[in-house]
Amino acid sequence: MTLAPASSHPHAPREAPALTGMADAVLAEVAARLEDYAETGRAATIELTAMPLTTEDRAELEAWLGRGEVAVTIESAGHSEIWETRFSGVWFVRHFGEGDRIATESIEIADAPLIVRSHPADMRAAARRLAALCADQSTRTRRDA
Amino acid sequence: MQRSQTLGEILDSRGVSRRAFLKYASYVSALMALPAGSAAAMAEGLAAARRQSVIWLSFQECTGCTESLTRSFSPTLESLIFDFISLDYHHTLQAASGEAAEKARETAMAENKGKYIVVVDGAVSTKDGGLYSTIAGVANVDMLRASVKDALAVIAVGTCAAFGGIPKARPNPTGAAPVDEIVTDKPVINIPGCPPIPEAMAGVISYLVSFGKLPELDDLRRPKAFFGETIHDRCYRRPFYERGLFADGFDDAGARQGYCLYKVGCKGPVTYNSCATLKWNGGVSFPIQSGHGCLGCSEPDFWDQGGFYRPLSTSLRDLGPALAGAAVAGAALGAGAAWASRRHQAAYVKEQAASEGGKK
Repeated sequence: MTLAPASSHPHAPREAPALTGMADAVLAEVAARLEDYAETGRAATIELTAMPLTTEDRAELEAWLGRGEVAVTIESAGHSEIWETRFSGVWFVRHFGEGDRIATESIEIADAPLIVRSHPADMRAAARRLAALCADQSTRTRRDA
Repeated sequence: MQRSQTLGEILDSRGVSRRAFLKYASYVSALMALPAGSAAAMAEGLAAARRQSVIWLSFQECTGCTESLTRSFSPTLESLIFDFISLDYHHTLQAASGEAAEKARETAMAENKGKYIVVVDGAVSTKDGGLYSTIAGVANVDMLRASVKDALAVIAVGTCAAFGGIPKARPNPTGAAPVDEIVTDKPVINIPGCPPIPEAMAGVISYLVSFGKLPELDDLRRPKAFFGETIHDRCYRRPFYERGLFADGFDDAGARQGYCLYKVGCKGPVTYNSCATLKWNGGVSFPIQSGHGCLGCSEPDFWDQGGFYRPLSTSLRDLGPALAGAAVAGAALGAGAAWASRRHQAAYVKEQAASEGGKK
């Protein structure tokens, strides 16, 4: 899957519209979902990957939402970039696949995107690893003493 | 690696966190246009699942389907599919050969009774007891019947397995048949294409593993997520079609302008697949973007549709029922597009008839 614009191809329609108005529609949905989240605490995800947004639409949407105070990168099964937009509770989540190709892109309306949080299963495994490390360290300290 | 371990446990022991599962699930949900919130459920389902035993049977085929799946994903996000399945039998890929290979298939069937998935690429020879294609002296048709006996589901990948494909093309000397003509008592999913889009194969397998059920299928048993729209519906050249701007040859002014390839035989309007959106080779291009019409390779009997370079309207005249069927499906699934293409077909047939009449 790629988000490379058809317009970048020499055979692409020359008169294809750059801005389709899709960004306006997405923005309206973000606004409605954010309002709902603020009132009810119902988180939401808007999947952008398969939406027929042109490159210009995407740029427009990204510019409107802007960048806020938090930016996160994740290195797990490839690279991910996540940032809170200038609207608190509205997050841009972008996962990269092979190379620099965007594999999925979504807007999450939540206090923090799900993928940023530590999963209980990972924490249990981490606790076991950390306990083993502590045991190993104390054995070593006793041996050295 | 123990078979009793969950995927979560297996990958955890390799330092892969649940974030990787969530990321993969987001990727598959986006591919399959699942409701946005389903990625989390899919991630949990995958992490709790056992490694899925897969028995891959290759019959009358060219290995293109295997190449499509195995060579498409570099070791990042998309390749996680290979951690989720245990490919217990695949005679092209497995190291074992001869009796040991067949033993692996039998062991996998016994150990995963009722839970394994059989993937088939290639058509099944049925004429003269299926003797035109055998593996280890066993006719494909017999191996298929025996292998699916205790299977959870069967996935027919590629047009040959799904619809008979090239082996079944006229005059079909081996009596080649699609999988679902042989397997009638198990769920069969068709993922046609020559080859099929790798993301479609990976998506369907991931869906089965995480949710333990079949994705939604159309009347030809194809997952709607990947075969719900025609190539034409999502083609970037469609604006030219709407404006009546067509290439009349492969090197005329229209072709150079990137006009619609309908008149040079593009089968996009009657072909259901995701090439126009997912594209090929990591999203580089797809046939129409490379200047060639769609061959309709994911549709039944695509090889016998009257010629790749004959416009649809001409084929429609010669081979009414096959394409009429596709047009009906079009009316159900992509009403606007099908209506528009039919309108154009009608006009084009009239135009052709008039010019032929003129010649006489």
